[in-house]
Amino acid sequence: MSAKTVCVVPFNRVEGDLKVRLDIEEGRVTDARCSGIMYRGFENILKGRGPLDGLVITPRICGICSTSHLSAAAKALDSIFGAEVPDNGLRIRNITGMAEMIQNDTRHSFLLFMADFTHPHFRKHPLYEEAQRRYTPMKGSDAVQTVRESRRILEIIALLGGQWPHSSFMVPGGVVTVPSPNDISQCRFMVRHYRRWYERQVLGCAIERWREIQSRKDLDDWLEERPEHQKSAVGFFLRFSEAAKLEEQGRGDGRFISFGGFDMPRETGVKSFGNKDQFLGAGFLADGITASLDQEKIVEDLSHCWFENSGPITQHPFSGETRPYATGSESDRYSWAKAPRYDGHPAECGPLAQLAVAGDPLMGDLAETIGSTLFTRVLARLARTAILLPALEGWLQELADGEGESFHNYDPVNEGEGFGLVEAPRGALGHWVKIRDKKIQTYQIITPTAWNASPRDQKEVRGPIEASLVNTTIENPDDPFEAGLVIRSFDPCLVCTVHAIET
Amino acid sequence: MKHTLYWLQCGGCGGDTWSLFNARSPDLAECIDLLDIELLWHPSISVMGLTELRDLNSALITGKKPLNILCIEGSVIRGPAGTGMFDEADGRPKKDLVAALAHQADYILAVGTCASYGGIGADREIEATGLHFHKWKQGGFLGESFSSKKGLPVINLPGCPCHCDVVIGTLSMLLSGAEIELNAFGMPLEWYGMMVHQGCTRNEYHEYRVEEKQFGEKGCMFFYLGCHGPLVNGPCNKILWNGRSSKTRVGVPCFGCTRPDFPQQYPFFETRNIEGIPIDLPDGVSRAHYLAYKGMAAAAAPKRLKKRKTGI
Ligand code: SF4
Repeated sequence: MSAKTVCVVPFNRVEGDLKVRLDIEEGRVTDARCSGIMYRGFENILKGRGPLDGLVITPRICGICSTSHLSAAAKALDSIFGAEVPDNGLRIRNITGMAEMIQNDTRHSFLLFMADFTHPHFRKHPLYEEAQRRYTPMKGSDAVQTVRESRRILEIIALLGGQWPHSSFMVPGGVVTVPSPNDISQCRFMVRHYRRWYERQVLGCAIERWREIQSRKDLDDWLEERPEHQKSAVGFFLRFSEAAKLEEQGRGDGRFISFGGFDMPRETGVKSFGNKDQFLGAGFLADGITASLDQEKIVEDLSHCWFENSGPITQHPFSGETRPYATGSESDRYSWAKAPRYDGHPAECGPLAQLAVAGDPLMGDLAETIGSTLFTRVLARLARTAILLPALEGWLQELADGEGESFHNYDPVNEGEGFGLVEAPRGALGHWVKIRDKKIQTYQIITPTAWNASPRDQKEVRGPIEASLVNTTIENPDDPFEAGLVIRSFDPCLVCTVHAIET
Repeated sequence: MKHTLYWLQCGGCGGDTWSLFNARSPDLAECIDLLDIELLWHPSISVMGLTELRDLNSALITGKKPLNILCIEGSVIRGPAGTGMFDEADGRPKKDLVAALAHQADYILAVGTCASYGGIGADREIEATGLHFHKWKQGGFLGESFSSKKGLPVINLPGCPCHCDVVIGTLSMLLSGAEIELNAFGMPLEWYGMMVHQGCTRNEYHEYRVEEKQFGEKGCMFFYLGCHGPLVNGPCNKILWNGRSSKTRVGVPCFGCTRPDFPQQYPFFETRNIEGIPIDLPDGVSRAHYLAYKGMAAAAAPKRLKKRKTGI
């Protein structure tokens, strides 16, 4: 039997750092452990602060999805104060949240993920040169266009919320902003411009044509239909994946969680995906069945992470504590990330989960026929904009057409508890907040990456990234490049570097 | 020869990097090209693997490869108990890498408030600190007497996040050999020699003390909603965010994110006051004069402002 090699993948990303230890036997990953290796202690920073301070502090958790944290914080406060958000407030929250999501999907796909296609690992791939022409960092044609276009869509958030990243324009009861008609018309220019680029460059066809694709077979037909489809970024990804056999890689166990996304205004012409409350419905999808979401079923399991607890090993976030101990050296406990579980199970989140749970025909079909793999995760991220943009346009139009407030005043209460669940660009994000004596008593946050990069739980069940790494073929155990690719398909944001220790 | 630049992320959120991607003219790709920068490493841009990164790090640390500019984003994390293991790189505390690189760099930029002064997490269990300052006090991680290879202190570019134009502007000044004048807290006067309040479209309301108690209105937020605009340095309302607007323009109070003690230890969205007059007055203003001035200003306020008729 060949020697077992233990590899460590120190992994840099926006929300912190990730390290993955792989056991490799005969060129195959047999086990993986995912460790969050940075701890910033936000939950404790928030304790004892003013009741609205989560609106300022939590966006600073993440530089690429700060608006989503803001939205979760504002929703938690809405529920604590019983604040009702008027329709225009909902519209502005949704428009800005979608703009951030679109930005993230573009940047992750073309700056962070596809950059791997330019790595010498793929030098024998027939499309290697095209990959380099497109995605060489800061030089490739698609990479440079992404730098230019992604910042433009964010101008919408500046016009409606002051700045991106890290504004605090959402407050209990709505948003503080009173945009002028010209601000809104500027936003509409931004969106039109972005749609044009997205259709020409990313899809190679109109969004309406893309959305006619409802199955794997439709997708194959679409690719063959026109040279524009093949030349587009999505077309390139399909061609590249085919030759590199990415479709089967990084298979997850196919349990998905989504907190849904974007609360529907009471009166709107925008059509939701079958749910009157949310544009994309929340739920938990396992074995082909989508169950409605019940936040009571969420717990964090502390059995393998470096946190102390005085109570049971699993806790609902309302009773959760965050007390770090140990120095970060490994044993049974190996992560600064807790292990979130839904109804006792780990769950994958992100664009694929969100769209499959909501019942998007194409992603629903691919999740069922192919499952959760590197390929479906990346494709969902590339295609999500086609779902979001038309709704974003619709709500901007409604903002332009109608008068109406975007903020309702509320009665601040000195005590209460509430939660805010939203879909951030990378998946399910929740804030659970308790207020007592006009101060934050506890504040627990579960980020999307906490779901995906979760360590094991007390039953020794692996988290989604860990599970998806098992069985990955590794050409060179000293440089397990393929593992990095699988990990990045979950959008952990930054480049991966790999390090191997022989044992 | 190209100027080498190394970007290291420590205890931060990555927001300074993503803010840098907001740059318009030049944008980030143009900037690297026009300033003749060789980007040795940036965690969200570089493709290289760890073996190569390790070779690069050792070439820089031993001085074999020159390091012109070191940009650090995020605070230096020293916890738990001084070990630094709350933030590790390659099995070791990242703070050790920061120290090793800092001693080889011609110039060092602390990008953002966390890298400059400790920011979120200073004085907390993670024992975060800034590179050359801990909050208001010089010293920080590198020590008071530190200077970079070219004899300069760490250049602090605070802001949560730092504005892209400030980073690009500072790089351009450094690389063209221009002298950069700093204030007492290591911030370039070019961008931090002004108040956030300057250029806010609510100035007209501020002037006549037309002040808001509730969100979603047009007036000034200084008296009741905790706006720090007149108290802190920064160019937000001059260079604008995403080329478009600013927090205070749309009605979000300035939280003072460039200040060495950000985040403040009292609640946001409220102004601490004595009998309705803020405790913290605009930078350098005496209380007696201020009371007199604001009393007159309120009396002189025109109807159009009181009725919120003037656009912002
Ligand atoms: S809102 Fe703030 S920045 Fe604007 S005028 Fe008032 S005090 Fe100045």
